[in-house]
Formats: sequence, structure tokens, C-alpha cells
Amino acid sequence: MAGAGGGGCPAGGNDFQWCFSQVKGAIDEDVAEADIISTVEFNYSGDLLATGDKGGRVVIFQREQENKSRPHSRGEYNVYSTFQSHEPEFDYLKSLEIEEKINKIRWLPQQNAAHFLLSTNDKTIKLWKISERDKRAEGYNLKDEDGRLRDPFRITALRVPILKPMDLMVEASPRRIFANAHTYHINSISVNSDHETYLSADDLRINLWHLEITDRSFNIVDIKPANMEELTEVITAAEFHPHQCNVFVYSSSKGTIRLCDMRSSALCDRHSKFFEEPEDPSSRSFFSEIISSISDVKFSHSGRYMMSRDYLSVKVWDLNMESRPLETHQVHEYLRSKLCSLYENDCIFDKFECCWNGSDSAIMTGSYNNFFRMFDRDTRRDVTLEASRESSKPRASLKPRKVCTGGKRKKDEISVDSLDFNKKILHTAWHPADSVIAVAATNNLYIFQDKIN
Amino acid sequence: MECALDAQSLISISLRKIHSSRTQRGGIKLHKNLLVSYVLRNARQLYLSERYAELYRRQQQQQQQQPPHHQHQHLAYAAPGMPASAADFGPLQLGGGGDAEAREPAARHQLHQLHQLHQLHLQQQLHQHQHPAPRGCAAAAAGAPAGGAGALSELAGCAALQPPHGAPHRGQPLEPLQPGPAPLPLPLPPPAPAALCPRDPRAPAACSAPSAPPGAAPPAAAASPPASPAPASSPGFYRGAYPAPSDFGVHCSSQTTVLDLDTHVVTTVENGYLHQDCCASAHCPCCGQGAPGPGLASAAGCKRKYYPGQEEEDDDEEDAGELGAEPPGGAPFAPCKRARFEDFCPDSSPDASNISNLISIFGSGFSGLVSRQPDSSEQPPPLNGQLCAKQALASLGAWTRAIVAF
Repeated sequence: MAGAGGGGCPAGGNDFQWCFSQVKGAIDEDVAEADIISTVEFNYSGDLLATGDKGGRVVIFQREQENKSRPHSRGEYNVYSTFQSHEPEFDYLKSLEIEEKINKIRWLPQQNAAHFLLSTNDKTIKLWKISERDKRAEGYNLKDEDGRLRDPFRITALRVPILKPMDLMVEASPRRIFANAHTYHINSISVNSDHETYLSADDLRINLWHLEITDRSFNIVDIKPANMEELTEVITAAEFHPHQCNVFVYSSSKGTIRLCDMRSSALCDRHSKFFEEPEDPSSRSFFSEIISSISDVKFSHSGRYMMSRDYLSVKVWDLNMESRPLETHQVHEYLRSKLCSLYENDCIFDKFECCWNGSDSAIMTGSYNNFFRMFDRDTRRDVTLEASRESSKPRASLKPRKVCTGGKRKKDEISVDSLDFNKKILHTAWHPADSVIAVAATNNLYIFQDKIN
Repeated sequence: MECALDAQSLISISLRKIHSSRTQRGGIKLHKNLLVSYVLRNARQLYLSERYAELYRRQQQQQQQQPPHHQHQHLAYAAPGMPASAADFGPLQLGGGGDAEAREPAARHQLHQLHQLHQLHLQQQLHQHQHPAPRGCAAAAAGAPAGGAGALSELAGCAALQPPHGAPHRGQPLEPLQPGPAPLPLPLPPPAPAALCPRDPRAPAACSAPSAPPGAAPPAAAASPPASPAPASSPGFYRGAYPAPSDFGVHCSSQTTVLDLDTHVVTTVENGYLHQDCCASAHCPCCGQGAPGPGLASAAGCKRKYYPGQEEEDDDEEDAGELGAEPPGGAPFAPCKRARFEDFCPDSSPDASNISNLISIFGSGFSGLVSRQPDSSEQPPPLNGQLCAKQALASLGAWTRAIVAF
């Protein structure tokens, strides 16, 4: 089932076609704000796919095992568990409402039968245990089958309870709650490769936690100036290195990425490496600062590269070269002339995420009009695809889309002015091994697979 | 990049965004407001440079008509010696664009007032720099009365709008604090570009200033010590491996402990150093500054005293104290003020009145939240918000406060 190196085939190549597989979520035009998906994440094996929404709920999908009698099912994802992770809160001291929106979900590597994930809203991180129960104990001594206590005088013999099968029940229980450590809004969490610690980052600080300890965390980065009027940049994303447990990176609103080594000092205010591409002064505008703000940073699976997403482009960096990125891919350069209107309607503040495929040969990120873009690093080809109900027939191939930037509009092209900026794809995820992708389009989750599989 | 909006509408839109973010769910988003403040700064720079150019051109014309002794006076304002202040304050006291000629005699007077304001502002900045009370801490310490001020203490301020002469004094290359390169090349006379780009090493060619005055911000730069906010230079902070409590010596604590009053959960955050948070607790014995509330409040209060063009206002303003007592938590501001305001600035465009309205909202609301002093003796008489957009743009204090309000 697993493709060779998963996604190793060119993203836009002839021998590789993305096809519609499934769509989850309601179809109505009226989308409740609470149903808007705010994060998507595969677990380490790819068998589980978790989504978080603005209403504070987490929905986990599980991939069906390949069934020889139904070869076409090809591992569909079905709902495995749904639970309310965060509730809206009110901070009375500051008269602030704390949104229940799930900002990030990160899975822990599986160590036993149960699954663990971290989910976070603006202020609080929770560790959830998702476990299956398919057996039930019967024959208790002290209570009846319906739970009522038996009269002790009636008990004349002892029996050993026996386990009987029952319908599968998936339970989610909060095992740890990591609260009160962030003054600002949490934007990232990242599990360390040591599987014992994780970091959480807000606008100005990054804290290091141990998964077992909830009442204490270490502050490892603090960029808050003594005088808030001097504030010039905030932290926008942070991630641990996939293999080196002492290394992490964090990106800033100024378009810079800092790599820090926790072995050098307790407070990693001084970076070990500093990645920045010098700004081109000729392209300076009112909005230069906004579009250079990095919205996401992700290490490659190999740990040798990392990728950063700003408003108009995606950059791949070699960790050994700080002066400029290895590759720059334009996501939607045609928006550069529309920045004014995008500023007016607040779209310029959208935070797009990006992701690698399993073999690090391709990267994917979202755009507007429910478009998402894939870049193949080997063949240097890119493709624009759309997540839409129209192209949602089972196993239907996705047709590449094209945005017309000016002049005559060819057939099947869409002009920049017809783009729907309310349909934005901010969150995408790529299966760690196979050619399966999950794309969140507002309240719908689209799953696409490649035809070969 | 084509932009359908001019600087003024961008400013108006940005202020509207900042204002509406106060009531958005989830609290004020620091990141977004920071980005909006960058746009504000860029738009304002363009606006100022345009106005300054206009003023300069007009003065050039005037000089050709005026007798010689008047020329000296003009040159005093247009001289490269004070380009920074002129760029910040100078051209904004023009009346409406159309009747500029009719207002020319007043323009000189206004320039003079702005110059005075600028000097005073500089002095206040100096005063602040020499007594670097962390503003965030002060607000936190003073923040008890207003629930919203708790948010202020942490979310106050944005360097992007600090007056340009504030930043270079610290001796650090704080980029957004310098007026960056103007977004569009402007046909400016030599002094103006120098004013706009005193220190930015990446200033594009449009900003090349043949007579770049190195003393663009001389008085303040010389006077104030480089008050470095970086902790590295502070004594008493230990930055080795995991700090033991005994290693901290002078400083009181390396931890922040939070008790959640709802769930009674105690969380401790260990820090390499935690100066500002420690001071924020307002009873940190080792911090020499103690609770810097009064000093800071007075500085904040002082800033409000001098507004340009006050004499232009009519006399029937409402009591400023009423505005100062804005309820905490940021209750929506009464819309009736808008109508009154438009009475006083008939020549402003609708956008300008929006801007000024927002500025006035910030001006009054902020002082009520942060300043601990009841607005008694310090009551600035006509300052309840009757500002014209152009005056608002002229006064940097309003900008700083607008953002510090967050």
C-alpha cells in the first residue's frame, strides 16, 4: 500500500495524478464559525488524522485497513473519536476572553496501545489520551450488572469477573493540562525527539515543558523588550529539530528564522544561526513588513532542511546556509498588486501553513479560492489544484488550475479578480509515508490520494 | 506596486483596525497590531514627507516675496539643522490644501508652536530615557484600577510608532524606529530626504541626501545615555546553565508563579531572567525602580499638555475628566462625539474626521486607563478629542499613545 518513498513521484508529472478520495464536513453554504477547521495533523504512522476547529473540538479519523475484498476502499479515513478539547474561558483579571479555537495539534509517538496528542488554544495546552475499549468486565462481586451495589449479606460466593467483548468505544481523556504559562497567544507547540519534552511558543516567549510535569515550565526564549514601545517583532512559529533534541528554530514577524541550541545556555536569546534573506529595496511598499512575516516554519523529515512560509512565497533553507534560502517558490505572486485590498479585507494577515511530503521531495501549501499548491523540488515543477465539491467524484482526478494574471484569459483560467478570498486553505497535511494529503477548506476536510495507489 | 489608497485613507483604515481589535474576541492580537502599526508608520511617513515638501515649496515661494529679515525666520524652520522635527511636525499645521495661501501667516505661527512642542517632546523623551522605567511594568503596577489595563501592561506599545528621535538615542539599530525609506520616490528638496532617512543604512537612492545632517537628532542623542533594554549588560543576571536560586544574587527571582484563581492550579515558569515581569509584581524589593508609577504617569500626563493648534478650538468642549473616566475593559466609546467633532473641523474630509475621532478616542481613553492621577490639576482643557486629523498626524504623542493603549 505504501508507495515507494511516498510522494516520490513528481507532483505534476504525467505518471502521477492526485485524485479525490473523501470529503468530511457539512455541505451547506452557511458555515458556522465553530466548524471552521483550524489545524490538521497526521500522526507518526499516518493511520490517524486529527483536526481541530474553532469551536474547540478535536475530530480524529482513522484509516481503514486494506481490505482485499474491497480493493477500492484503499484505506479510507473514518471518524474514530470526537471530543471537546477546549472550552471558552474568561480571564477575569484582564477582562479578556480566551478563545477555544484549537491552534495546533501535535501527536506523540506511539508507545503503547493508546494514542496521545497535544492540543492547544491561545493559553492552555492539554495532553489527551485516546484509548480503545472493546472489552467489558462482567461478574463483579460487589455490584450488579447495572452498577447498583449489591447487598453484602446476599453475597455468598466469590467469583472472578470475566472480560466480555463489547462494541468498540474510543475514549479521550485529558491526562495533563499545562496552563498559566503564557501571557500572549500560543502559536506553536512542538514535541521533542526525546519524546519527553515539548515546547510551546507565544508571541514573545517560548517555554519548554516536560510531558509529565504540569506545574512548571522553563522559559527558553524571551524577546519581550523592557519597554513594550520598542517592540519590533514577535515570534510566529517554533519547532524542534526532528532528530537533535537540543536544537529548535523559531521564526519572527520580520521574516527571520533563528536556530537555537539549548546546550549553549539556559536562555536561548542568542541564536546559533540566523536565517534571513535581505529585502529587495526595489519592491518596498506599505505592506513590506506584513508580507515578509513568516507564518509557518517546518523542518524536513531528514532534518537537513527547513521551510518557511510568508504571505506570497515558500522558501526552503539549508540549515548550513544562513545567508539566503536554497529555493524560493512563489505561491501566488499575482496578489502582489492586490495588497491594498487584501489589507482592507484583512486577508493579508492570513497565516498559511506548509508541509513536506514523506521523502522531502515535494512541498505543499494553500492559497485562496480553495486552491493549494504543490512544488516538486526535484523536477522544479509546480501545480495548482482545487479542493471543491465540483471535483468531488470518487477517484476523480484533479485538474490543474491556473490563475490568469493579465491580458487575455484563456479557457479554464480564472482571473485574479474572480478569486474568492473567503475560501482559503490555510491548513494542509501530508501523510508521512504515502501519497495521501489532507486539505482543510473552511469547514470541510478533503482527502486526496494518488492514482497509482 | 499600485495602490488605490492614498496615505491618509491607509492611516484611517489602519486605525480602524486597531480600534476594532480591542473588541474582538480572544483579546488583542499583538502580532496583527504590530503589523498594522508598520503600515501606519509607512503611510504616515509618506504623508509627512509629502506635506513637508509642500510646505517647503510654499515657503520657497514666500521667501521670494518676503523682505530679507523675514527670510531668516523661515530658514530657521527649513534649515537642515532641524529636519527631523520639521519632518515630524512641520508641514502638518497647514490648513486645508485649498486655502493654503490664506493661511500662510498662520502657518508660520503654527510652525513655531510645533517647534516648541517638538522641543518639549524631546525633553520628555530625554527625561524618560534617563529614568528608564519599563513602561510595561509601570502600567502593570498601575493597572489595578482598570481591568483593561492588565492587558495594557503586557500589550502596551509598539516601537514602530515611537518618534524617530527616540530610537537612535539608544545607540542600537532599531530599524522601525527610524524613518525608513519613503515608499515612493518624491521630488523633495535636499533637506527633506535627510530628515526622513537619517540613519537607515539601506535607504534607497531616492533618499540620498547631499547635505545629510549627521546631527539629525543631535540634542537628544548626545544627552541620553544608551539606555539598553537588553539584559546582557545588566549586572546581577546569571546566564549560565540551569540557574540555581542562589546564583541570582541581587535579583529576586528566576521564576514566575501563577495561581489560577479558577482552578487553583499553580504553574511556575523558570526563566533565565525575568526583570520586567518581576518588576511588574510591583513589590520587587531588589529592583531599584520600585513602582515607577507616579513618575511615568506624570510623564504620560505631561505629554498630553501641549497640543498644537489648541487656540483653534472653540471653547465649548466637554469636560475632559468625563472621558478620562472611561470604564475599564474598553467599553465602546460614545458615537456622539463624532458629531461634535465634525462641527469643529468643517474643512476636513470624512476620512480625516474618522482619523481624528479615533485619535481622540485613543487619546482620552488611554489617559484614563494608564495614568493613575485623577485628571485634576493636569487636566488639559481642550483636549477631549477635538482634534483635526492633520493635527493628530502632527502630534507623535497621539500615535505612541494609540498603540501603547494596547
